Amino acid sequence: MKQRALPIAALGLTAALALSACAGGSEDGGANGEGKTLDVWIMQGTNPNSEEFFEEVSAAFTEETGAELNVEFVQWADAHDRFVTSIAGGTTPDVAETGTTWTAEFADAGALAPIGEYVDGEDLRGDLVEGLVESGTYEEELYGMPWYAGVRSLVYRADVFEELGLDAPESWDDIVAAGEVIKAAKPEMIAFAVPGDAEFPVYPWVWGAGGEVAEQDGDEWVSGLDSPEAQEGIGFYTGLATEHGFSSAGATTWKETEVLDSFAAGDVAMALMGSWTPSAIVEKNPDLEGKFAAAPIPGKDGGIAPSVLGGSHLSVFNTADDTDLAWEFVKLMTTGEFAEKWGSQSGYFPGQASLLEDTMASDDPLVAPFATQLVEGGASVPVTPKYGAVQAKKTTNTAIQAILSGQKTVEQATADAAAEMDSIMNGD
Amino acid sequence: MVDLVNRPPVASGAPAPAAAGGPTRPARRRRHPLVAARPWLLLGPALAVLAVLLLWPLVRVVLFSLQDYGLREIVSGEPNWIGLANYGEVFTDPTLYTVVLPNTVGFAVLAVAGTVALGTGVAVLMASLGPLWRTIVGSAIMVAWAMPAVTGTYVWIWIFDADRGIVNSTLQALGLQDDPVNWFTNRWTFYGIVLLNVIHHGFPFVAITILAGLLGVPKEMLEAAEVDGAGPWRRFFSIIVPSLRQVFAVVIILSTIWDFKVFAQVYLMPGGAGTNREALNLGVWSYVESFGQNRYGFGSAIAVLLTLVLLAITVVYVRTLLKEEEEL
Repeated sequence: MKQRALPIAALGLTAALALSACAGGSEDGGANGEGKTLDVWIMQGTNPNSEEFFEEVSAAFTEETGAELNVEFVQWADAHDRFVTSIAGGTTPDVAETGTTWTAEFADAGALAPIGEYVDGEDLRGDLVEGLVESGTYEEELYGMPWYAGVRSLVYRADVFEELGLDAPESWDDIVAAGEVIKAAKPEMIAFAVPGDAEFPVYPWVWGAGGEVAEQDGDEWVSGLDSPEAQEGIGFYTGLATEHGFSSAGATTWKETEVLDSFAAGDVAMALMGSWTPSAIVEKNPDLEGKFAAAPIPGKDGGIAPSVLGGSHLSVFNTADDTDLAWEFVKLMTTGEFAEKWGSQSGYFPGQASLLEDTMASDDPLVAPFATQLVEGGASVPVTPKYGAVQAKKTTNTAIQAILSGQKTVEQATADAAAEMDSIMNGD
Repeated sequence: MVDLVNRPPVASGAPAPAAAGGPTRPARRRRHPLVAARPWLLLGPALAVLAVLLLWPLVRVVLFSLQDYGLREIVSGEPNWIGLANYGEVFTDPTLYTVVLPNTVGFAVLAVAGTVALGTGVAVLMASLGPLWRTIVGSAIMVAWAMPAVTGTYVWIWIFDADRGIVNSTLQALGLQDDPVNWFTNRWTFYGIVLLNVIHHGFPFVAITILAGLLGVPKEMLEAAEVDGAGPWRRFFSIIVPSLRQVFAVVIILSTIWDFKVFAQVYLMPGGAGTNREALNLGVWSYVESFGQNRYGFGSAIAVLLTLVLLAITVVYVRTLLKEEEEL
């Protein structure tokens, strides 16, 4: 975590070259998949039009390689268990979408095939979004091909802000000031939602105050959640609820989905939400269209606080009969036309740096702030196969919920969380 | 009853009964071993299926519990024996004694008592109703029974929702509380809601089973007792309860097993999936400790312990029952 801001701008320079190189190379070799079928698992719900999208991909894939494409949609909630059971039974698909925090875990288990050679063979290495490459790399080898990325920023009700004469917050003090005005003028609204069962909206405050989630020290991981900086950040974030009363009693046990539901219902004025949520909000409540906007998450005294860069890889499983064919599909999906289309349909940012450059040029008020956040303040959770276990144990969520419900003080809760993180990440 | 108990020994008895067919005497003598094996041959397919479907997984779970078994071992197929270390870890974890066991056992005791009490009450009510009302009440409680646990749990979550739930809005309208309360963050109120959910979902089975038993209690006995001056409570505890002992035993054992391993009703509650550490019970604890972290050996150890505890409870129940039967 030494280098948090992603050097995407630098990568953009090589982008055009790399893209034209791979687009032009309809190389003679490729893969001859005549009569073969490629089994693919894709997560459901990311792209509202995924059925149509994959019909097109399927046609293009068959045209290019002669092989059939068999796409199965899997719910995010069941996916981890299904991967594990299929790994156990040797029935994994040839290619699957893997969440960025899972790739290292499955690679560690020996279930994935390395794809570094293919990426180098296509000269794509320099044109991938750095944060996704980082999370897709395990023990110096690339296992996850960057596909798409998303990031959380501050989403607020532009109509409420305008009505009350407020500007988008640019520092922590601005957030409190805006919250007080909203709370006084609209007591029925949740001025700032602080969900107690969500970890990703916590880390920007830790980083924004100069703290760290965890750092690698030699072979050992050390959690930084109990550092004074992290405590200040978490104290500010939970204080929005406990001191200032901006949140609600119910939010103490909310997940991020419930923040989204409440925002869509028009009850929330400010919340940290993902770059993929605006379309979902409008879909749930068309009345809100044009009434909300996004802004990068402010650091303590201004600037941009880093936010977790989430997303997905496409990974090739080592049970694939024909890895050349599998790679053809991965390349088709993650570069060029289909990667761009997927990004624009789903509200995610493409994992190919040159495509991301195009998106960043957008001036859409619900795209540009997220793009700024992604490029200037995109960060990764600790890249270790053990981090999935920390998430499964809900270490950070537990700390936040305990503070919000008054079970523990900020100092106590963060100390407990740091100790638990240390023991999980350094266990075997 | 007597008939049923006596029949099997006859059927499996070594000398083939004459009714079994017409083999001649010498032939019968020669085929004797086969005849003796006949019951086992008939049982064979069923036993084989049971062994594959039940016994082998059980053995596998025990084998896993003696290993450090994770995703890596699943992929490689290599065993990784660590002896009883998983069990050692379970028994030395303070969470087991301060949170998990009290929650599991305390909850099971209250839930079984509540389910059986409410179920019996409803059964007695239904037994005294006419056919029409019995059908109506029966259908109504069947709906509660038929509701999937997940759906039922979400309904209770909505009822107690902090911001929009009917409980908070009613209490506030009555002036009994000033601000909304989040009922899910406190261990006692959390399990109070789970208790309501589980009793509501579990009592119809008890009610229907006990009703079936109640209808079999001889009317003459009750009438005779009434003539002798026994009031309704006396009649219930001195006649109905003793004659329904078997039914109660079945209902209590099954409820205990179900309420001990309650999972979805806790896991799906806000904070129940691990963020509220005070609300963990055995099922959820084993899930978050093992499956979320790919520590299948540790999870298997907890599963084996849970099985043993339930087996012990069942054995104690059945033994006391049999003893009482002998004494009668």
